[in-house]
Amino acid sequence: MKKTLLSALAVLLAVGMGFAQQRTVSGTVMAADGSFPLPGVNIQIKGTVQGTFTGGDGKYSLEVPSNDAVLVFSLIGYTTQEVVVGTRSTIDVTMRENVRELGEVVVTGYGEQDRKTLTSSISSVSAKDIENIPTASPDQLMQGRASGVLVQSQSGTPGGGMFVRVRGSTSITAGNDPLYVVDGVPILSGNLSGVGLGGNQTNAMSDINPADIASIEILKDASATAIYGARAANGVVLITTKRGDNSKAKISIGSYYGSQSAWRKPDLVDGPTYEMLRNEAAVNNGGSPIFTNIGSRPSTNFADLVFRDAPISNTDISISGGDPKVQYLVSASAFNQEGIVAPSAFDRKTGRINLDVLATDKLKVGTSLLYARSIRNRLRNDDNIAGALGGTHFFPPNLAPYQPDGSYTKFSIFENPVAVINENDITMVTNRVLASVYGEYEFFPGLSLRSTFSVDYNNVKEDVYDNTLLNAGAPVNGSASSIATVDDNWIQENVLNYQTRINGRHDLGILLGTTLQQSKFERTTAGGQQFPSNDFKRIASAAVQTSSSDGSMWGIASLFTRINYALDNKYLLTVNVRRDGSSRFGSANQWGTFPSIAAGWRLSEEDFMQNLPAISELKLRASYGITGNQNGIGNFQAAGLWSGGANYTAAPGTQPSQLANPDLKWERTAQFNIGVDFGLWNDRVTVTADYYNKQTTDLLLAVPVPISTGFTDIVQNFGEVENKGFELGINANIVSTTDLNWSVQFNVAQNRNMVKKLAQPIAVYNRDIVRIEEGAPLYSFWFHDQLGVNPETGNPIWRTKTPGAQFDPNVDRFLVGDAWPDFFGGLTNTLNYKAFDMMIFFQYSLGNDQLYWSRFFQEHGGTRDTNFLASQLGRWQQPGDVTMIPRMTNANYAANLRPSRFVEDGSYIRLKNLSIGYTLPTDVISRIGMGSARVYLSGQNLLTFTNYSGMDPEVTSTAGNALTQGVDFYAIPQPRVIMGGFNITF
Amino acid sequence: MKLKNIFSWIALSSVIAFSCDVLEQEPETQISDQGAFTNEKSADAALAGLYHQMQAAGYYGRNFQIISDVSADIAQSIGTWDFYREMDTYSLDASNTELNNFYIAGYRTVNQANNLIASVPGIEMPQAKRDNLVGQAYFARALAFFDLNRVFGGVPGKVGTKSVVLPLEPSRGAGPATQLSRPDLAVGYAQVKSDLLQAISLLPEAQASDAFSRSRAVKSTARALLSRLHLYLGEWDDVITTSTAVISDPRYTLVADYANIFSGKLTTEAIFEIEFNNADQSGIRNWYLPSTGGLGGRGDLAMHTDFVNLIRTNPTDVRGAMFGFNAAQGVFFPLKYQKPGNIDNVHVLRISEMFLNRAEAHANKNSIALAVADLNRIRNRAGLANYNGAMTQAAVLLAIEQERAFEFHIEGHRFFDLVRTGRALAVLSAVRRTNSSVPIGIGEAFKQIMPIPRVDLLANPNLVQNQGYGN
Repeated sequence: MKKTLLSALAVLLAVGMGFAQQRTVSGTVMAADGSFPLPGVNIQIKGTVQGTFTGGDGKYSLEVPSNDAVLVFSLIGYTTQEVVVGTRSTIDVTMRENVRELGEVVVTGYGEQDRKTLTSSISSVSAKDIENIPTASPDQLMQGRASGVLVQSQSGTPGGGMFVRVRGSTSITAGNDPLYVVDGVPILSGNLSGVGLGGNQTNAMSDINPADIASIEILKDASATAIYGARAANGVVLITTKRGDNSKAKISIGSYYGSQSAWRKPDLVDGPTYEMLRNEAAVNNGGSPIFTNIGSRPSTNFADLVFRDAPISNTDISISGGDPKVQYLVSASAFNQEGIVAPSAFDRKTGRINLDVLATDKLKVGTSLLYARSIRNRLRNDDNIAGALGGTHFFPPNLAPYQPDGSYTKFSIFENPVAVINENDITMVTNRVLASVYGEYEFFPGLSLRSTFSVDYNNVKEDVYDNTLLNAGAPVNGSASSIATVDDNWIQENVLNYQTRINGRHDLGILLGTTLQQSKFERTTAGGQQFPSNDFKRIASAAVQTSSSDGSMWGIASLFTRINYALDNKYLLTVNVRRDGSSRFGSANQWGTFPSIAAGWRLSEEDFMQNLPAISELKLRASYGITGNQNGIGNFQAAGLWSGGANYTAAPGTQPSQLANPDLKWERTAQFNIGVDFGLWNDRVTVTADYYNKQTTDLLLAVPVPISTGFTDIVQNFGEVENKGFELGINANIVSTTDLNWSVQFNVAQNRNMVKKLAQPIAVYNRDIVRIEEGAPLYSFWFHDQLGVNPETGNPIWRTKTPGAQFDPNVDRFLVGDAWPDFFGGLTNTLNYKAFDMMIFFQYSLGNDQLYWSRFFQEHGGTRDTNFLASQLGRWQQPGDVTMIPRMTNANYAANLRPSRFVEDGSYIRLKNLSIGYTLPTDVISRIGMGSARVYLSGQNLLTFTNYSGMDPEVTSTAGNALTQGVDFYAIPQPRVIMGGFNITF
Repeated sequence: MKLKNIFSWIALSSVIAFSCDVLEQEPETQISDQGAFTNEKSADAALAGLYHQMQAAGYYGRNFQIISDVSADIAQSIGTWDFYREMDTYSLDASNTELNNFYIAGYRTVNQANNLIASVPGIEMPQAKRDNLVGQAYFARALAFFDLNRVFGGVPGKVGTKSVVLPLEPSRGAGPATQLSRPDLAVGYAQVKSDLLQAISLLPEAQASDAFSRSRAVKSTARALLSRLHLYLGEWDDVITTSTAVISDPRYTLVADYANIFSGKLTTEAIFEIEFNNADQSGIRNWYLPSTGGLGGRGDLAMHTDFVNLIRTNPTDVRGAMFGFNAAQGVFFPLKYQKPGNIDNVHVLRISEMFLNRAEAHANKNSIALAVADLNRIRNRAGLANYNGAMTQAAVLLAIEQERAFEFHIEGHRFFDLVRTGRALAVLSAVRRTNSSVPIGIGEAFKQIMPIPRVDLLANPNLVQNQGYGN
């Protein structure tokens, strides 16, 4: 049938072209190193839809109309070539692998563009960079690979949250996460869980299968982002998934399996040491020892009981291909990661259909459809002392995990970590459909209208069951909750696009668009207590049952336009304007306008540069624009509100819940960017450098109000935040020969964040350990600045506000550091030698402070009856001892002291990924019908160079509080992974 | 051509179809503040919300009682929660989370009361109903101002000079008008008195049911709180008048079996009990009961061992049986609040307090015999013989002081009682703690008042910190 259609088309074309001189050319397409033929190469006659593709042996044959015909050879990952047919009947072509270079096409908001004529700052991460990385979530893949994009894992919890900042944090109360757009659809990212387990967040981005991704583009400057207007202030991450092409069906199968382990466990003292330290403190305080017969009691290493080696595995299969009219990609994947602390786990299955159909020669229609089902087993951890790691740290090591009668040993408020591992029962099942249909009509060449309707539907079902063996369930005879959350978004967009070239030298592109989006959130919660026994887990069996439901929604409507103009491909200009209306703001300020302008100058195209042949590309560009932010605030933030649920026994009650602020409006970020793109020796070395200055004003800030109002804060447009920085990316193909290729990608970025204006300092988190102040960056730590320990007395020496004054813990607190790195980035080495390939990827963050908050609790100097970290052993013991750890007395470890020694240098360099692969010889695998086959071994987080004494310098346990960052508090560290896998194609 | 038209039409119509309503969204679980008081039903809901504020974990849900008991020689912190340990070890910081939680809960109660006081008079309903609602709001505001001042203000003539700020209007927005200054401490106590007198004049003698009369304010509830206020101010005659008014109200009698006050709910002992149930759980049980023995508590707090031993000196004292022992940590925990599911009611005002208030007033007026008579009512109920100590004013006052400690332990009285009598520095000079090999004392006079939360000092430039604490 397909053949018939194709021949019919060929006949029509032939007729259409009159009596052309039809003849056949054929040939073989080989890889540049000559080692293997390339299957699936698309060969098209330029200016027509006529074409074919190479078979498994790299051979093709094609009817051409005339000697003037130009054949275009293209294949993803290879540089496209054009060849004039001439009089030849055999045309053999070798294609060079497309190592990242400036000549590529980058995806932009509502379009794509040749990087050479781009005037904005966009980082790209290609599929090749990120394939076979053992991670659940695509946002993690940007780490260290896109300059200026700071990516940190909140913890090593499978499917857990990520901290992503594009050029710093522009906001305080409103969100700082970038906008994620998948195949043109702004999607929901972040946490959809309704269960409070601590700082531990889930990540909706992990519903996307990384293997489906063709490229990730990070839009950074205002010119790139302003087309997303009101939600673009924090940058935009465009994820483009793979689609079918005009080639025969290609089946790709990839799979890996690995083992994960903790690269570092908490360094806690053993039973006898614990008793010795507690005795020492008691004696120091003037009392008598607490423990006699030290060593006669158990000595338990709870960390060894809690951490385990855990498997990780992934398999994905895709079939893609098509003909000139219908192109398809169908993929399926299964990813499973168990946590290194049981029973945490993440399991994801996805299916995808991407379809493009040229219905008529004017109308193209298609879909992108993702279905993802994720199942998480979750733990109480991270900023939660009642979880597995909390218990591990707090439980005195002179207790055995079990009592003689076999029951769990209980101690104080903490959960026995062994009980957590055995009894914990918290699941989260997410079903997500991300679907979009589009139609694109070409009125005449150059003018087209594209209309899309998309849905992002998330259904989350969570169940928590705490049986009577757990502290949470014991007092109420078992406790269960069941939460169903639906987050339902639809987006309708229309984009009119016009492209033309005037007089052969003026390139003009005009884009006009509209968007409507509505998001609806609903949550139903049921709870049960008093179960007949631990065999009953469903709320139906509970004697006490409660339930509740909740809902909210918001909408946004937008108009936008972009004009691109280029003169002689040399002088470039881009103007964007977007106008957004949001339901979140009062009618007075509902609409905001977000313009940007950018200009570029390709010096390398100028005549005076032509005598410098070494310089293959040189472009200067600058942009300025304004973008907005409405994230992180409530859906009805402008209104004065009363809420229900304030009941008194059976009487339904209401209470004031929000002060009114009818003047509330968009947060505004103005960004200036200047950059240069530089290519040497035919782009073998390329350099991209950018400087930016982002000024955010009218912050949507939760300004504290006097508590005597009965409220703690009101969201106002108040305050200013600045982010300034530079970014540098260097790519070099150092060796490029037939047998050996070596390329290096390096990037470094610096961001300086500062709060420029604030109503008053904002104290954040328990014990005010984080503080926001004018003139200081966000995520600054506020502590008693400990200068040392007096070698004579063993008492801490504190900095005081008045030099020489007596230290007053209520007065003498200082900002002692912040979580921002001075520099961060990555270094990738890619080596190919014959059939072997190797990638070495380092990722680094330098100059960031990390608060080891667990150490604060485990270096208690004997003021608690809980376990110690081994750092306590460094305490002052006798005159002359030089240490930072004071003598163990109640006064030196008083309840109101927040010593700065727990704010540690969190700088690190990590061998994030090392992989070694071998591509099997074609003549071997072609015998069993394969197109290509590669096997590899790979390691993740193999080496970490850091002075930080905690388990992971990267984690943030308090992610539930967006104003904190860099606080390590009972978080699972990121695992070290050793794995092997293969990729084969048919 | 036709296809183009159809396509354009679909695109255009979808814009029109969807654009109408995406910007018009209405909240589903909240109402605008203008809609909060529209009729009698909505006023009833706001009244329930008033008691809901007192139920808050930051207030009578647990925190307020714990603040007093942990700061005194009744209870101690043995867990990780530094904020109670700061109170226990007299090293309070202005960033103390639990003080802040109480401060917020107190003013949320005040704001809810102010809303009722301002709005209910404008709503159509019977006058008696209107008075009843507004009267309850005055009572709640008095209670909140009184409690806030006991923690952050002090006691006139004893310690402290400044009252907490006294907002009397409902809050509608931010701005300089909300940045109130702290009046003199006497003004704060006068406001409590005036609110209570308003409450007494407006409230009914009884609510719709006996249970309602004990779990919501009536005239005698306000009288009982007024009796306590007079006690703080040393207005002995007024203490006697108001206590006697409540004691003579036949609804309030001493429950014969002390333990039944706590195992039951809304007994005849109760003048004001805040009700809790499975949907609204109280937290004292969880904070004191250990995780061991299937009790599953948080166990962050425990009794001071010396206190338990003292109360058990006399083996017939039934109150000595109100403790369990946590062998794992070698500490006692209270059993007043121990209902599974954390459904214990909280006791704010009990009839036994009226006897002890009156006893103390008589003793201060040197009416020793009358004082001892009231004291003996409480002693006898607890299984003790009549008072047989010296019949001097000093000795009887000391006996009353100890009786209050025994009678009201874990109910949040002790620290404030010691501060108002000027005895805190002496009594709390050396309190032995389980987690310290040496006793700890309050040491300095300024520590009888707690620091205003730092966040509020930052938010309100007109606020001044209590002496001895930083900003």
